[in-house]
Amino acid sequence: MSKFKAALQSQVGRKLITGITGLGLVLFIIVHLLGNLSYFGGPEAINTYSHTLHELGGLLWAARLGLLVFFLFHIYLGISIWLEKRRARPVGYESYNSRGVPSRQSWSARSMIITGVILLVFVVFHLNTFAFHDFQTTVINGVEMHDVHARLTEVFQHEVYTISYVLTMVLLGMHLRHGVWSSFQSLGWMSRNSNPVVYSIAYILGLIIAVGFIGLPVSIYFGLV
Amino acid sequence: MSDQQMTIHLKVWRQKGPNSKGELVDYTMDDVNPHMSFLEMFDWLNEKLMKQGEEPIEFDHDCREGICGSCNMMINGQAHGPQKATAACQLHMRQFSDGDTIYVEPWRAKAFPIIKDLVVDRSAFDRIVEAGGYVSVNTGGAVDANAQLIPKKEADIAFDYATCIGCGACVAACPNSSASLFTGAKIAQFAHLPQGEPERKERARAMVDQMKEEGFGDCSNFAECEAVCPKEISITAIAEMRREYVKSLFD
Ligand code: SF4
Ligand code: FES
Repeated sequence: MSKFKAALQSQVGRKLITGITGLGLVLFIIVHLLGNLSYFGGPEAINTYSHTLHELGGLLWAARLGLLVFFLFHIYLGISIWLEKRRARPVGYESYNSRGVPSRQSWSARSMIITGVILLVFVVFHLNTFAFHDFQTTVINGVEMHDVHARLTEVFQHEVYTISYVLTMVLLGMHLRHGVWSSFQSLGWMSRNSNPVVYSIAYILGLIIAVGFIGLPVSIYFGLV
Repeated sequence: MSDQQMTIHLKVWRQKGPNSKGELVDYTMDDVNPHMSFLEMFDWLNEKLMKQGEEPIEFDHDCREGICGSCNMMINGQAHGPQKATAACQLHMRQFSDGDTIYVEPWRAKAFPIIKDLVVDRSAFDRIVEAGGYVSVNTGGAVDANAQLIPKKEADIAFDYATCIGCGACVAACPNSSASLFTGAKIAQFAHLPQGEPERKERARAMVDQMKEEGFGDCSNFAECEAVCPKEISITAIAEMRREYVKSLFD
């Protein structure tokens, strides 16, 4: 057992957990995105979706707990890796330049700690705006349920909220651009040939997720939906 | 190729000893031959400094043909300079232009303390190898070379990893100062050969642990190491190291 404990603290283990939790969070984000898109199906669609989700009860709580654990581990390791990096090079270079391809030292790679911290702050506000909000209720097909549709419509009338949401989603896309690729490499799933393929997929995925999330607030704000 | 002499402005890190405060010092050379190697330019500069009664710049070098890994210097912010797959000793002044200003700094990492000027102590790498980068067998009489067949593909992969010269450029260029490419290459070269099999598990664990022990940072998959490695060792070495490590946990 101590072998496994040591493994979790090793530099390989730390990256493995960062990668696994990261990929888990990406799965959650994809499901969340699909849920958001149901807004376009009208009040009935998104409210029923949200209601069905809440009807899951214990299962939903288990998922939430899992999500929280993943999130905490991911944050802890992300910050710890950043601190280690500072410790490992106390004196920096006067001049430093990336050599370029095959380097993956993109903007998004270098800013993981910044985008990560901003995402964390965002999540706190986001939960406060939606999850912990005291929703109005509406009745659909004789069932009383939270009016998520109304809340979304209300929130994204506000300029500040809409703009900060959109900007954060751009950062999310950037975080995933390096994160998704990096997770696969951390899990040792990369070969010389799959490397460029996975790198491109991560780019496309980051883009799709960012655009997907941005679509809703922008449509609501400009009254397109 | 023009033989015209070039003027080169250098900003070189000078530091008297491990605990002294260092600084970048400016030198201008107006008679650099484009066919000189980067190190020959330093020899030339040192000769002049000595004639002027100044202390020459200390830099590491040995083979000057890209195989010993001792010529470590950060040239214009890139480990070994701007040329792909080239150690600093194999870099030539024709890669630069007349009038260029070139920054020359030592490898920067806590695990590679500076000894003097551009020379750093890379014995942390030796200790990573000592932790498990070997095959302990008592070699008897030489065995027939063809007694143990190894598929060409596997032999080639192992050979590619084995070309690592331990220069430390991967650490120097890594924003995290991680030693993952070096350690990965040293683990992966054995993972493809039958000789590496008996100590496979202990090796992966011991070397990975030693890397942390020495104070190198975590790997964030920047892949900058692969870009600067004079032997073009791929980050698949790091992926292999991770696989080896995980496999080593299960008997
Ligand atoms: S992996 Fe490449 S850059 Fe790193 S020590 Fe070996 S040869 Fe040098
Ligand atoms: S002096 Fe030996 S590799 Fe450069």
